[in-house]
Amino acid sequence: MDKEKVYKLNSDKGNELSVPLKNAPMKEHGVIDFLVIAAGFLLITPILSAHRVTDFMIFCIFVMSFDLMYGYMGRLSFGHMLFLGTGAYCSGLFIRYISGNPLLAILVGIFMAGLLAMLIGLVIVRTTGACFSLINLAFNQIGFFLVLSPLRGITRGEDGFGVRVSSFGFFNFANTTFKFWFVLLCLLLVFYLLKRVTTSPYGILIRSIKEDETRVKFLGYNTFFYKWLTFVLAGGVGGLAGTLSALNYNFVNPNMMDVHSNVGVVFASLIGGAGNLYGALVGGVVYMVISNFLPIYIHRWEMFLGFSLLIIVFKFRKGVWGNIQDIWEYIQKRKGAPRLAA
Amino acid sequence: MLEIKNLDVAYGHAKALHDISLNIETGQMAFLIGRNGAGKTTLLKTIIGLLKPLKGSITYQGNEISSLSPEEHYLKGLRYVAQEKKVFGNLTVRENIEIAAYASGEPVDIALDKITSIYPKLKDFLKTKAGQLSGGQRQILLVGRALVGEPKLLLIDEPTQGLAAIVIEEIVSILSGLRDKVSAVIVEQNLAMVNRLADRVHILKEGKVAREIIDKSEISDTRGLEEYL
Repeated sequence: MDKEKVYKLNSDKGNELSVPLKNAPMKEHGVIDFLVIAAGFLLITPILSAHRVTDFMIFCIFVMSFDLMYGYMGRLSFGHMLFLGTGAYCSGLFIRYISGNPLLAILVGIFMAGLLAMLIGLVIVRTTGACFSLINLAFNQIGFFLVLSPLRGITRGEDGFGVRVSSFGFFNFANTTFKFWFVLLCLLLVFYLLKRVTTSPYGILIRSIKEDETRVKFLGYNTFFYKWLTFVLAGGVGGLAGTLSALNYNFVNPNMMDVHSNVGVVFASLIGGAGNLYGALVGGVVYMVISNFLPIYIHRWEMFLGFSLLIIVFKFRKGVWGNIQDIWEYIQKRKGAPRLAA
Repeated sequence: MLEIKNLDVAYGHAKALHDISLNIETGQMAFLIGRNGAGKTTLLKTIIGLLKPLKGSITYQGNEISSLSPEEHYLKGLRYVAQEKKVFGNLTVRENIEIAAYASGEPVDIALDKITSIYPKLKDFLKTKAGQLSGGQRQILLVGRALVGEPKLLLIDEPTQGLAAIVIEEIVSILSGLRDKVSAVIVEQNLAMVNRLADRVHILKEGKVAREIIDKSEISDTRGLEEYL
């Protein structure tokens, strides 16, 4: 197709614009990213055990999905656990009542979380600021209540239920090593997908929406559509994290949709540095290390998290990765070398 | 091309524009001048769809546009450059241009060439975050970005406000290069610029059009215009 034509607006209805993602110029995506990420998780596996690192990676997937909405689009959600819970419950219930096929269960979990995001996104993305955060929280609370009480007949309320997956050819989720590699593959795929998305014109657009939505409208964009799309994408990826959690623990309970757990993903995003996928990974790992190991040494470890947040907010707004980037750029500037890839 | 008839606009109960009527022909550069609070920016914001009129009509190329959204205005070829010189500060200069190119359907390379041809210095800043540009460079980027695609009517609010004389000269040069190619409605207090570029001047006072000048010799008489500022 002629390169000039692909930039034409796909608009028959006037104001419903869409930027053609697949035809947009992409920045180079080095294999080195994947090697570094994979190596990082492999290196910590002997220290922390494969099961725990699998848990870390699932959380990192969840943080990346949250970061797409918060770090890139500037919409802070206090209800992102809804999608993790939806993914976990839908895949778990699918396995429990319909089929033990884990791959189908994963697809069901992603689809249902995405579908939920599609529906509630129609309302939520019309709002901004505190309203956006609180409406998300409200929907999360509704979801939590539903699985806890009205749907108790199938979800078994606060007791939760076990998830027993059949071995499906090569896919054996009873095997910890297999789960580790499968989740690592999912993490790399999600990273690749979100990297492509965030460096595409769509990525530029959602970052522009974060800065000033009104001015984006003046450039002819239907911002509602792009916000909704981002919400759905974040919801779907959050759903994937939920299905992987269900498969990793072989268990689903309301904690997977608990509104209080939203604190974790917000913290992780801020610790790592919002608006950067590497930051999401770093933040996810750092948060998991803190929340897994600090309670052993400090009884009220949550207080430590509170102090950490204060320090981040007042002194290190860019988080761990953002500050590493700044230091790197400073060094490169002094050397006159190219910038560190964002 | 643009016809405004009996336009009333209010902020809540406070009326800001009273019975405004004006007419701008294709290819003309019309300037809105007047004191602070005269309603110049309000008029631009109403034309672009940011404010809805209480009464009256805004007709562009024969179509009523006062009820259209900002994105629909863009599709019709209207481009708005706001007063605040707000670029997308966390995006690079290149990305600021790209986002306009994708929306307009113009290939990025052509959009980049278009903007760097009117201001070649921008080539050196393509990878720089737009927030790090000077006020003048930001303004030129905004004007340049408004030219991406096929703009038909530019609405520019105080393009030279707070800028150094040398930058003002560059902006005047860019705008004079657009003469007869696009129409423009420009809010401006710099009478030297008005003198050089204006085909017509609308003087606003307390939300009303106090005077309309189309005679070039009258426009050149900056002393005569000064009394309205």
